[in-house]
Amino acid sequence: MKKIIQFKNIVKQFDNQIVLKGINLDIYENEFVTLLGPSGCGKTTLLRILGGFLDADDGEIIFDGEEISKVPAYKRDINTVFQKYALFPHLNVYDNIAFGLKLKKVSKDIIEQKVNRMLSLVGLEGYAKRDVTLLSGGQQQRVAIARALVNEPNVLLLDEPLGALDLKLRKEMQIELKNIQQEVGITFIFVTHDQEEALTMSDKIVVMKDGEIQQVGTPTEIYNEPINEYVARFIGESNIIDGIMKDDYLVNFDDHDYKCVDFGFKKNEPVDIVIRPEDIDLVPRNKGIMNGEVKSVLFKGVHYEIIVETTSGTSKTVTMHVLGNKDIVNDEAHEKISASDFYMDLEDVENLTDAIVVARANAQAWNNEDEDVSLAKIEYDVKNAIGTYPCTFATAKGTEITINITVVKPVYTEDKANDEAIQAFDFYKTVDEIKESIALDTDLKQWANAQAWSLEDESPIEIWDVKYDFDDEDIKEGDYQITFSTMGRELKVHTTDYQEVGTKVGVLFAPEDLHVMSKMGN
Amino acid sequence: MICLPMLMIVFYAFTTQGNEVLTLQFTLDNFLRFFEDSIFPSVLWRSLKIAINTTLICIAIGYPCAYVISKLPGNKQSLMVLLITLPMWINMLVRTYAWRGMLNDSGLSNEMKVYIGMVYNFLPFMILQIHTSLSKMDQSLLAAAEDLGASKWQAFLKVTLPLSLPGVISGITLVFLPAVSSFFIPKLLGGGDFVLIGNLIESYFISTGDWNFGSAISLIMAVIILISMYITKKLDRQSKEVH
Repeated sequence: MKKIIQFKNIVKQFDNQIVLKGINLDIYENEFVTLLGPSGCGKTTLLRILGGFLDADDGEIIFDGEEISKVPAYKRDINTVFQKYALFPHLNVYDNIAFGLKLKKVSKDIIEQKVNRMLSLVGLEGYAKRDVTLLSGGQQQRVAIARALVNEPNVLLLDEPLGALDLKLRKEMQIELKNIQQEVGITFIFVTHDQEEALTMSDKIVVMKDGEIQQVGTPTEIYNEPINEYVARFIGESNIIDGIMKDDYLVNFDDHDYKCVDFGFKKNEPVDIVIRPEDIDLVPRNKGIMNGEVKSVLFKGVHYEIIVETTSGTSKTVTMHVLGNKDIVNDEAHEKISASDFYMDLEDVENLTDAIVVARANAQAWNNEDEDVSLAKIEYDVKNAIGTYPCTFATAKGTEITINITVVKPVYTEDKANDEAIQAFDFYKTVDEIKESIALDTDLKQWANAQAWSLEDESPIEIWDVKYDFDDEDIKEGDYQITFSTMGRELKVHTTDYQEVGTKVGVLFAPEDLHVMSKMGN
Repeated sequence: MICLPMLMIVFYAFTTQGNEVLTLQFTLDNFLRFFEDSIFPSVLWRSLKIAINTTLICIAIGYPCAYVISKLPGNKQSLMVLLITLPMWINMLVRTYAWRGMLNDSGLSNEMKVYIGMVYNFLPFMILQIHTSLSKMDQSLLAAAEDLGASKWQAFLKVTLPLSLPGVISGITLVFLPAVSSFFIPKLLGGGDFVLIGNLIESYFISTGDWNFGSAISLIMAVIILISMYITKKLDRQSKEVH
């Protein structure tokens, strides 16, 4: 096949922000090429540079053997289907399509012939005299395609042309566009952020990120052999796991070795491993490669998306001291006030504010009509040392309560295997506070100040599970154990078989389902 | 309430002077008088000529102005629109007096002075109307035209111009109507001997006190305006059909 377009080291910046960092890309004749990436990745900029609507700051564009950077848009043998179609509202369907031909002074009868052929190509026979502003989105789309194709360009550029259509119409147009491309036999360069669209239509996909090309390949190559974590995440759903390449055909993650089909990495090189959710099978316990527990099940129409936890997360157990009601009643002022003792981390003393104290103590005051009364006085003197300090809350009318703030050394559990740590504190609560809680798990996390973070970069990690064995509707005074834990290794599985949450299952996949990729940036 | 003064004018135009209810007499004399005396149609013709020329000058100056403004970046655009509307904050009469002071010793002909006054007063309306329709235009249409092989000039002729025509037409309405019936601009700048139809009406109502004849002239004016509006509407529709 012949190269029709070559981008050579295209650089573009806007307001000192580099949007294209030296793009090199070859496009061949009769290809359906998709530039795929999230918004802001530079794909539309690249298309506009090719169309002649923007100038590159650096680099060359070779079109059919000629450098065309300095050729104005109207002299390029390229036509564009714009994002919002950009149909001329003052012209009808026929005149919109004939626009380019009339400029080229083509004779009337030939224009008519060509326009009519285009109308039938896009399935709009009989629409010639219609007002374009009264057409539906899909019809306007077809007019825009016909208007571009009637000029018989060598290359057609399509800038997210299906973005404004609804899902069903979009799917129809995807197939139709592909058919039109095959029928007219020219190069289509299609820009989209929709990975499914790219997979459906393209001969070649160019995945872009932050002004750089990540990977160029056929849809199957991109899907089955993503070059890095970014491409794997962008195309389809995937489980991406940190691992180590022990040897050719042998990869290690979560302390186990697994056979794979990849080779050519350095010994003990850290890698990312992709397992597609549809490549994993759930089997009875001990019948698979690893065991796990079903954590959640989502119905997705054709399949269920099941999250299976194969290694447990990091956990921390704390004691909740449940006290009876100890609201303080001020009969003269017709007010009541309540607050609870709490524990806090020595490291947090420096950043203590009134708002934190009020929230942690759950301090509140209210009057006989059950209206909230604001706290006029919040007094505490917490020293930067381990110990117990009094704290007084009072309303303007003098209703007051004193509690204890206990400052303790930070207590957290580290888990080297999961590379994370979790902390939580014992705490005091009254029976009423627990009964009144609307979202108990969230409140328990807040009351215990439960937090988990990555040991690698201290980024927060979600606390996935809160376990306790009391009935919050019928709780009595006493001490209760609460366990907070993070999610361990979670695997997303797509399967048509339903599984109950909590089921212990086996997990099975084949060596060829593990796709090993170099870490990004290497 | 809106129609009552109009009805009064119609009433006056078709009656003789000195209306007492008992001696009420309907007549067409007022209209006949207008067309019989050669001076009145010539004043009418002069008024139309000045109004048409003013409108044409306003388009000739206003369109390029509006076009340039619409190509400016957003904040500069609003500043320019503000500058154009700024004079309108001051009474038109006061501004015309100011022009009289400036033009008195200029040696320009009275007709010239009237044109300057008219164009100065009505140009902002034209610019604003055209600017509105130009700035509403989707810029991607120009990219599309260029993509289809149109040079910048062709894109202007085939896309920008036809899409801005509605603005030009409403600009014409806003300039022509006040120009054809204006009376104080010719009065102040025309040196007293430059009589337009507006001045005629004014003098019959205020100086002569012949309300009936004044009303008749007003009615004739109204009919002419109606016809001219009909023609512009028709042109507007045609311009849409042609393209």
